Amino acid sequence: MSKRGDHGFSRRLLLKGALAAATIPATARIASAQARKVTTVQGIQTAADVAKAEAEGEMLFYTHDSDPAGAAIVEAFSKDFPKIKASYLRAQNGALYAKLLAERSAGRFTVDAVQFSEVSTAIDFQKKGGYEHYESPQAAAYPADALGTPAGYFFFSGIDFVGIVYNSEKVPAAEAPKTWKDLLKPRWRNVISCKQSTSGMQFVQWFELKKIYGDDYWKEFGKLRPHAFDSRAQLFERLAKGEEQATILGEWAGYQLVKDRGAPVTFVAPEEGLPATPLATGIVSKAAHPEAARLFLDWLMSPKGQTLYQTNKFLYYPSLRKDAPPMPGGMKLADYKLLFPQSMAEYEKAHPTYVKEWNAMIGL
Amino acid sequence: MPAVALFGKPAAAPAQKVVGAVVTVIVGVLVLYPVVYLFQAAFATGDPNVRPPQSYGLDNFALLPNYSEIMLNTLAVSAAAALMALVFGFVIAWILTRTNVPMRGALEQLMAVPYYVTPLLGALAWSLLGSPESGFINQVWRALGAKEALFDVTGPIGIAWVMALFEGSVAFVMISAVMKSMDPSLEEASQVIGAGRFRTMVRVTLPLVAPGVLGAAIYVFAEMLGSFSAALVLGSPNRFYVITTAIYQLVSQYPPRLPLAAAMGVSLFVVMFAMIFLYRRLTRGRSFVTVSGKAFRPRVMDVGRFRWVLFAVCALYLIMSVFLPMATLALASIQRLATAFPHPSDFTLEHYRTAFSLNAVRSAMGNSLLLGFMTATIGIVLTGLVAWIIQRSRLPGRAVLEYIVMFPQAVPRLVFAFGMMWAWLVFPIPIYGTLWLLLIAYLTVFLPLGVRTISGVLVQLDKSLEECGEVCGASWGYRLRTITMPLLRPGLIAAWLLIFVASVRELGASILLMGPNSKVLTPAIVEAFFSSSSELTAAMALIQTVVVGLVMLLFLTISRRAARLGA
Repeated sequence: MSKRGDHGFSRRLLLKGALAAATIPATARIASAQARKVTTVQGIQTAADVAKAEAEGEMLFYTHDSDPAGAAIVEAFSKDFPKIKASYLRAQNGALYAKLLAERSAGRFTVDAVQFSEVSTAIDFQKKGGYEHYESPQAAAYPADALGTPAGYFFFSGIDFVGIVYNSEKVPAAEAPKTWKDLLKPRWRNVISCKQSTSGMQFVQWFELKKIYGDDYWKEFGKLRPHAFDSRAQLFERLAKGEEQATILGEWAGYQLVKDRGAPVTFVAPEEGLPATPLATGIVSKAAHPEAARLFLDWLMSPKGQTLYQTNKFLYYPSLRKDAPPMPGGMKLADYKLLFPQSMAEYEKAHPTYVKEWNAMIGL
Repeated sequence: MPAVALFGKPAAAPAQKVVGAVVTVIVGVLVLYPVVYLFQAAFATGDPNVRPPQSYGLDNFALLPNYSEIMLNTLAVSAAAALMALVFGFVIAWILTRTNVPMRGALEQLMAVPYYVTPLLGALAWSLLGSPESGFINQVWRALGAKEALFDVTGPIGIAWVMALFEGSVAFVMISAVMKSMDPSLEEASQVIGAGRFRTMVRVTLPLVAPGVLGAAIYVFAEMLGSFSAALVLGSPNRFYVITTAIYQLVSQYPPRLPLAAAMGVSLFVVMFAMIFLYRRLTRGRSFVTVSGKAFRPRVMDVGRFRWVLFAVCALYLIMSVFLPMATLALASIQRLATAFPHPSDFTLEHYRTAFSLNAVRSAMGNSLLLGFMTATIGIVLTGLVAWIIQRSRLPGRAVLEYIVMFPQAVPRLVFAFGMMWAWLVFPIPIYGTLWLLLIAYLTVFLPLGVRTISGVLVQLDKSLEECGEVCGASWGYRLRTITMPLLRPGLIAAWLLIFVASVRELGASILLMGPNSKVLTPAIVEAFFSSSSELTAAMALIQTVVVGLVMLLFLTISRRAARLGA
């Protein structure tokens, strides 16, 4: 596993510029500018009015993530704040966003906080005035880039990043890939996997590796006839059992989960860098339970919430908190060189090309 | 409806008209209201995330030719699967209802199992069994000394096979419901005049059950067109895609391309309507009456020693569709990472612990059962009346009703669900996000299932039985209750069970329409396959299968006891 000590996340000017273009409803900013009293409850610094939050009694969280993940999050929050009945609803990112927008356009505002798997979804929601502005006292523990532009609409609640993962029983050490280019060798024909075009992470990888190696990289990769999956579990299980021998989209969280189950898999961090995408979480405007939502956001941003994100096996998302402890396995996020799309405008513009090229490549 | 005395005033016609009108309005609202929104989306251009759409055009339809190869894939695999399912369904239904095969009762119960297994499970089980490298069968095959895999289930034939086994088992239920209501004297007559058993089956039994089989064929083919799990689990590793996998891509990418998905969905209406048109042409002007005023008791043929051969046929089918998949899943669900030859240290109950610890799953199970019960109970009343109107009444517009009813079956559920979401979100009565919405959605999407099942039996009833009641002065409601319904009993029970099971395992509509307090189980199971593990998925699905199996046993026991008491 390669290590990079000095290429942490905070040095990257993630998503600058494009985010600044997002329009901000003036009223929301004025409202949030009124200083809120910061208290410490359950070891968590919060600017929410805890008594009011408890009087509201409920909190609804929408997430792109899995059921066990959603359940773990609301259960842990409710354990700290038993007077607030927290619940969640999950759907795949695209469907979740379509549902949320349809509900809002029909005048239904039941959801309090939402997490998207892609920043572009969050930016679009921000442009539509979907977020409530809130300056969390927890924000100080985060690099400025992790708080959106301008800060206070959503924050990066975790990171999803990818390296190469291969089956160490099927791939002899001498043939083990070390760089992204190693995956273009004919050796991987018919035994390499990737994700379908619906995967936001796959889009980031396509975008970033194209920037480094040019268009030819994916053309060459396509010649290997990769097998594409929708399901992360299926991708990793087949890899673990040797149906495929390596994957170009080795999501760290998926790797960790299958490794825990005793699979003979190895994670490689190529030194060109690891494509990465943050999860974006924020409070929804016109929320039914605004104080409970603020309290939830502070909790999620706090070391308590972020530890859960890093260590729960259904989550395994490294935290961007400056004081985050090492991830399971001992590495810190700062040990990796992460590749984030720098220009959001360019990134979003590339999406239709990506879908077209990717689908053609995987035979769809 | 009050039970009017037998010699009361014959005031049937107005009651029929009123009920007919009410049922038509209910069906119209349930089906057409969401369909309007689907068409609106299909013609929408501009930002797909803005509702209502900003402008309209044919842009989405212009893109459809790009998907012609996938369309052909879909038609080919669906036709193959439907054909297999109908052959399996017909042969086994004939064996179980018409011959004295040993252990008939037990076999019949087991035949329903593949249907109440969530479709994803069959695909998952067969992928564990038949993947070229790690499939259990192939592992055993290699352990016996072979170099190559014995077979690969991830090709188009494998996909059609899995679809036929798991989504096609509905064909068996529909066809056997028809066969049970058939007067065996016709078959006996055929044998008396010297035709062999096989010849009788082909020349007498088959034509008699033709409308039921044709109806089942249309339904099953449509079910295959909308089938998702087998193609998803088995097809994508082999770069084989069908329309539902393509639609799934469109719906789940960011930004979701719902208008294009809607255009794809509504285009399938054309295919469906062509098939219903054909069905009506083929069955028009023919009589399929086998239940008449003459008394009959379903009897079975004595096939002699041949019965053990027939038993072997059923047993083989059940091994493929029930025992092998279930055993595979059970074995997988107690391993950390499933393999054919696990090490003792690989066994764990962790997946069951996780499954039971999920609060969402525990309440979801209750919701699923409650919804299944309500949908099935309300559903047979509604679909029974619809079937009666279509097949029996002389009400104007009943042909149109037959087409309307099939709308939900024509479009993949994933797309139809968006129509329902848009429709019921803006509905003035706030049912969105509650169990009521799911109930409405299920009643809508299972209309075709109920109507097809009940119609198949209804066309066999001789009209003169009802007319006899009419002549005697019984009101329409009284006739329905005392003549039509008792004769329809096997069909109604089959329909109830089918709708119950279909509701419990419903996926496409539930994903989008459930609220935080109205979750159901199947989406959680499928989701576990996407992001957690096959082993957890297997554990959750086995729990679901066992619970559903117990409920069905309970229902069958109660209905049998009730029948005995009634008799």
